[in-house]
Parts: sequence; C-alpha cells; structure tokens
Amino acid sequence: MKETFAKLSPFQVDPARVMGEYGLSAADFEPASNDEKESMVEKRKSVSYWKDAWRRFKANTVSMVALAVFILCLIFAFIGPYFIPYSYGDQYRSSQKLGPKEFSDQEQLVVDVQDEVEYMFATFTQPGSITSLDPGAYYAKVKGKVYAFELEKLVDKVIIAVNPDDADPLVMIREKDIVDGHIVEKTPMEFTTTASPDAKQLKMVKKVFPHVFGTDSVGRDIMARTMYGARVSIMIGIVSALIVLFIGSIYGSVSGILGGKVDFVMMRIVELIYSIPEVLIVLLLQVVLKDPLQNWFDTSESAIVHALSTLGAGIISIFITFALLYWVTMARIIRGQVLQLKQSEYVTAARALGASTGRIIKRHLLPNCVGPLVITTCLQIPSAIFLESFLSFLGLGVSAPMASLGSLCSDALATITLYPYRLLYPAITLTIIVLSLNLVGDGLRDALDPRLKK
Amino acid sequence: MFVYVLKRIGAAVLTLLLIMSITFFLMNAIPGSPFLTEKSTPQQIELANQKYGLDKPLVVQLKNYILNYLKGDLGVSLKMQEGTDVSKLLFHQGKFELSIKLGISAILLAIVIGIPLGCIAAYNRGSWIDGFLRVMTTVGVAIPTFVLATLLLIYFGVKHPVLPTNSGSLTDFKSMIMPIISLSFYYVCYIAKLTRTSMLDAINQDYIRTARAKGVKTRWIVLKHALRNSLIPVVTYLGPVTAGIITGSFVVESTFQIPGLGKYFVNSILSRDYPVIMATTVVLAALVIFMNLVVDIVYKMIDPRITLTNKEG
Repeated sequence: MKETFAKLSPFQVDPARVMGEYGLSAADFEPASNDEKESMVEKRKSVSYWKDAWRRFKANTVSMVALAVFILCLIFAFIGPYFIPYSYGDQYRSSQKLGPKEFSDQEQLVVDVQDEVEYMFATFTQPGSITSLDPGAYYAKVKGKVYAFELEKLVDKVIIAVNPDDADPLVMIREKDIVDGHIVEKTPMEFTTTASPDAKQLKMVKKVFPHVFGTDSVGRDIMARTMYGARVSIMIGIVSALIVLFIGSIYGSVSGILGGKVDFVMMRIVELIYSIPEVLIVLLLQVVLKDPLQNWFDTSESAIVHALSTLGAGIISIFITFALLYWVTMARIIRGQVLQLKQSEYVTAARALGASTGRIIKRHLLPNCVGPLVITTCLQIPSAIFLESFLSFLGLGVSAPMASLGSLCSDALATITLYPYRLLYPAITLTIIVLSLNLVGDGLRDALDPRLKK
Repeated sequence: MFVYVLKRIGAAVLTLLLIMSITFFLMNAIPGSPFLTEKSTPQQIELANQKYGLDKPLVVQLKNYILNYLKGDLGVSLKMQEGTDVSKLLFHQGKFELSIKLGISAILLAIVIGIPLGCIAAYNRGSWIDGFLRVMTTVGVAIPTFVLATLLLIYFGVKHPVLPTNSGSLTDFKSMIMPIISLSFYYVCYIAKLTRTSMLDAINQDYIRTARAKGVKTRWIVLKHALRNSLIPVVTYLGPVTAGIITGSFVVESTFQIPGLGKYFVNSILSRDYPVIMATTVVLAALVIFMNLVVDIVYKMIDPRITLTNKEG
C-alpha cells in the first residue's frame, strides 16, 4: 500500500484518477482490522546472548576445528585410560625401553600365538617384576562362563588360554610349548564352573595390546603416562584459571563498583603486582612452599588436607602462585568493563528509576561482564599449562609419583639422544592442547565480544 | 613529561624494594639453614649465623641488606663458592655478560624478524604467504621453549651434527644459533602476529586513505604511515618480552649448557645460598623493571596522543 503511494508524485492531486489507474477502490483505505495488524507484526524468535554467540562461534571454522581437537584431547586424557590395559604407574619388566608399537621378545612370543587361542592370560605381559602366578585359586570369565581352577605350585612364564568351543576349554601353554611361533603342546587343566570366594580373577584378553608410544627405561607404557600427564596438566590449567577467575573478578568488580579512593589504592596494588616479574617469584615460591606444605600434609589429620596431599606440594604451590600473582590481568579487565558499564545509559536509567545497587549489579553489570570473564578464563588455561610444564621441566612443579606433560618431557631429557620419541609424544600432546585452547579462546573472543576483536 | 618520568622512576624503585622484601622473607621461610650439613654441630651453625649477621631480627637484616645494596655491596656467597663476593660471582665471571648477550640477541632477532614478517603478512593479506605465516605464528606460540630447544638439539646437534650441542660461553657464531633461535622463536611469532593485526588496523585509518588518494606509492604508505603507527603495540610488548626472555633463559641455558645467570639462579635456589638468590632475583627484576620503565617512556614519546596521567581501564 505504502509502495503504491510512494510512486505518486506529490503534484498529483486527483485521487479518483489515481485510484482508477492503480485499480484501487475506497475500500482499500479503510483502517486495518486487528487481525490484519497482527499479520503485519514481524515474528522472529528472540535470540538469546548465548545462542547468538554460539551461532557466531559455529561460523568460525578454525575455532570449531580447534574445539573438536580439544574435545579429542579431553577424550584421550580422561576416557583413553579405560581403553588401554596399561596403567601409568605399572612397570612391565619384560618390556623395558621399547620403541613405539614394538613388542619385547617375550611379548612377541605371545603375539605369535595369539591367533591360535581365543582368550588368553599371559604372565609375561603383566605388570611387576615377577612373571609368575603364585599357588592359589584363580578364575577367568569368558562369555559369561566361569572357569575356576587351582594352582598347586608356582607357575612361571605361561599362557593360560580359554577356547570355549574346544573339548578342553582351559589349557596352559608353557614357554617351551611354543616353537617357531606355533603352539606345539597344550596342557589341559581341570576346572569348575563356580569360583571360590577367595579366587583371583585373571583378566582374559584376545590380543596383546601394543605399547603405542613405546615404554620407558623401567618398562612403563608411555601412552598411559602421556594420558595421565595430559589429565594432570589440563586439570592444573582449569583449576588455576578458576582461581584467577574467582580472585580477579571479585577484586576487579569491587574496585570498579566502589570507585574513588578505594579504586585508586586497589589499582596501585595491582600495578605493583603487575610489574613484579612473576616467574622469579614463582620459582622461589616453588622451593619455599614445598617443604612446609609437605610438613603440613604429614601432620594434619583433616580430610581436606589429606585430599590436598594427594595432589602433592608442587601442584599446590602452583595454585598458590596463581592465587597470589596471576589474577591481576583478570582484575584489570573486569574493572575496566565495570567502569565502562557504570557510565552506560541503561545503568543511569535503571538508577533513575530507583533500582538498588544490588539489582544493578545482578541485572546489568554481571550479565555484561560474562563475555570478558569467559574469554579471559579460557585463555588463562593454556598459559597455566605452559607455566606448569615450564616449572616441571626445571624439576620443580609436580613431584615424583605424579606426572604432568612437562615432567614427562623432563624425564625424557636424560635419554633424549637414544629415545627421542619419549620427549616427542608428551611434547606434541602439550602443543596440541595449548594450540587448540588458544584457538578456542580466540574464537570465543570473536563470538562473545566482537568489540574486543583485535 | 618530566613529572611523569619522575613518577615512573619512583614507582619502579618502589617495586624493586617490594621485590627485595618479598624475596627476603620468602628466602627466610625456606626451611633449613644454609650451614646445615651432616657434619655441622649446632654451635658451628650459630657461629656461622653470627658471622653473617643471620642471628639478628629479620627486620634489621632486611634493613641492612637494603642499605648494603644501595652501596653496591651484594653480600658474600654462603654456599656455592663460600666467601666470594656475590657481585664478583655475578658480574666478573662473565655470567651476566653471557646472559645479556644471549637475551639482547634474542630480543633483537625477535624484532628484526618478527616485524617484517608481520608487515609481509599484512601486505599480502589473504594470499598463501599470509596463510602460511598465520599458521606458523599460531603454532609457534603454542610450542614451549624447552620443547623447541630440545628438538633443535636432537636434530641439528645429534642427528645431523652441524651445530655444537654444548654452547659453552657462546664464543663463536655457530654455538649461538640454536640457543638464540629457541629463545626468540616464540617472540618472533608473537611480534609478527601483533604487527600484522595492528598494521591491518592502521591500513583502515583515514590518513592512509588520504595518502592513497594523494597518489603515494603503496610501499611508501606501508613503510611511512602504516608501519610507524602499528609499532606502538609492539613497543608496549617489549616489557613482557624481556621478562619472558629471562624466563626462557633458565631453560635454554640448562639445555645448551651455557653458564649464565639463569642457570646460576636455579642452582642458587636449590642450594639455598641466600645472598646469591637475593642478588640474582634483584638483578633480574631490576632488568625487567628498567625495561618496563623505558618502554613506558618510549611509548609516551612515540605517541603523543596517549595521556599517561589518565590510566583508566
């Protein structure tokens, strides 16, 4: 309708002629009914902040790929250990110093015959220094059936195999029974189908699982250790980022909201801490805190302290360092944001309408600070992982029974010329994690706060 | 301007004093005495404490130590080389020079390579060169220094022994290549990234359009107008670079066996040689603070638009 009129020149004055020309009648100029009005209202779903951000993030191919890679890293670190039969601390004496995907001679013996039996338990591939089974009751569970048997004396270097469809389902194969990669003799074993309560279960496998990343000098599986190290590193990164988030956002928002002299003093403190070269203090703290923390762990009886002690003094001191020194960037960003928002018109409007400070903080300041908070926290994780790996590499950081990607790299250094892959795997994992997190952080920045885009 | 410089110097001195106090108290919190060995008796420890003034209250010790530092007396090593002046250990045995040589070369390399790379990327925006440089710089900032250092060491030192694995005192050019590359690679990438983004920012400014309209050649625009203005973020980044290079030197100096300050610092912490820890921390911190001060002043000088009294945000 509007369009039709727009075509008229303001000089044309004869409505009847115009109406005739355009095929309009007087009825077209009646006021619209409510139904008609309704149909003109533009109906579009309102898009929430997060939906909008997610849409922008999805459009960014690089960040999406990085996110996928990071999720793969998480799966590798947290779910991976359930899929490999090796654990990070177990030592496989017969499989020391193996290269990636190599088998030791004894494992090779088992690998050669693994197709000739269906399910097996080989003593050579078990952790520990002794490749034997003590006398006692054992049972194995295959396809829901229980095969329980008793050993009267100690057996060494044997394969206990189950072929459910054979006449003798449970057999024992000794090392000497394997000739040129074939089983020449199987000793049938007597068994019952119910296990006595004190019997130990033997975990039957179909195949020998290769040491995908090889093993170290004491026969620990490097892939299991890399998974474990990645887990520790990622958790340190996340916890440190949360600490920074907590302290930095509270400090920054208090400073920004109160303003005036309080703000001035608080910001001078931030500047002072900001100009301290952190790493020097971090190194000092690492050494200073280690012994007193260990002491505290050993003497205190409280459950929380006990839980902390499993983390080890090194990790706790990393957290303390972050709590002391690294929150200043976050505090500055949040303060800047709060100051900017405080002067925005809608906050003034809310104030003029009589909103309380609490309501303004809750309704206006907090939701608008979420973007920068998420971005800074996300980018803090890789830098925490970096710092931790640096400390662990120097021999500070995480201590002995624990391992992080940095300490794995540091362990690998001693034998670097002979076994470079021991450094390579944890180093590549570390790089991939940091890289993907950096890219995800960049993507988040673009998606959550387009104004912050560099 | 003058008032500003004075203020900044005041703040720098205050920071340095704060660092000295923090180090002092932290150091005294390290359990165990520097004189505690298997053979020493309590009397001996007490005597030694008296000799070095460690029996006095902490505050008095701190005061003495700050006053001595002002006089240029850094104290005497208690353990690593007992009885030797710390200043002699740090400055007259080439440690300081070695670290400075390494650090300055790395910073220079980062600037000399990083800035042109950033310019090239911005100049060829969207081309394969830009793409390649973007991938390189993004990956580059995700590789820890120690990984790069060891990989270089394996590849060029062991597998194809073209460069020495033990860099020693960096006397010849060959021994400097690997330490400097591993120390500066991260910063080359970071500076290239920074230059690229700020260059692209600058290119969209009005004065560039004016220059273009006047018919100034593109190359000249990039060099004269865009580069100058895009250097500001790079200059501000030089403060953190100094701190980072010092950190990196801890790793690089131990990997390539360079007897510099970084390695010495780590050793002094492990052997609890109070005066040495103290002196090294203060010297390194002073370096970083000085660099920050210079950066702040230079920043003000190259960009008159920036009002430094107003430090909002």
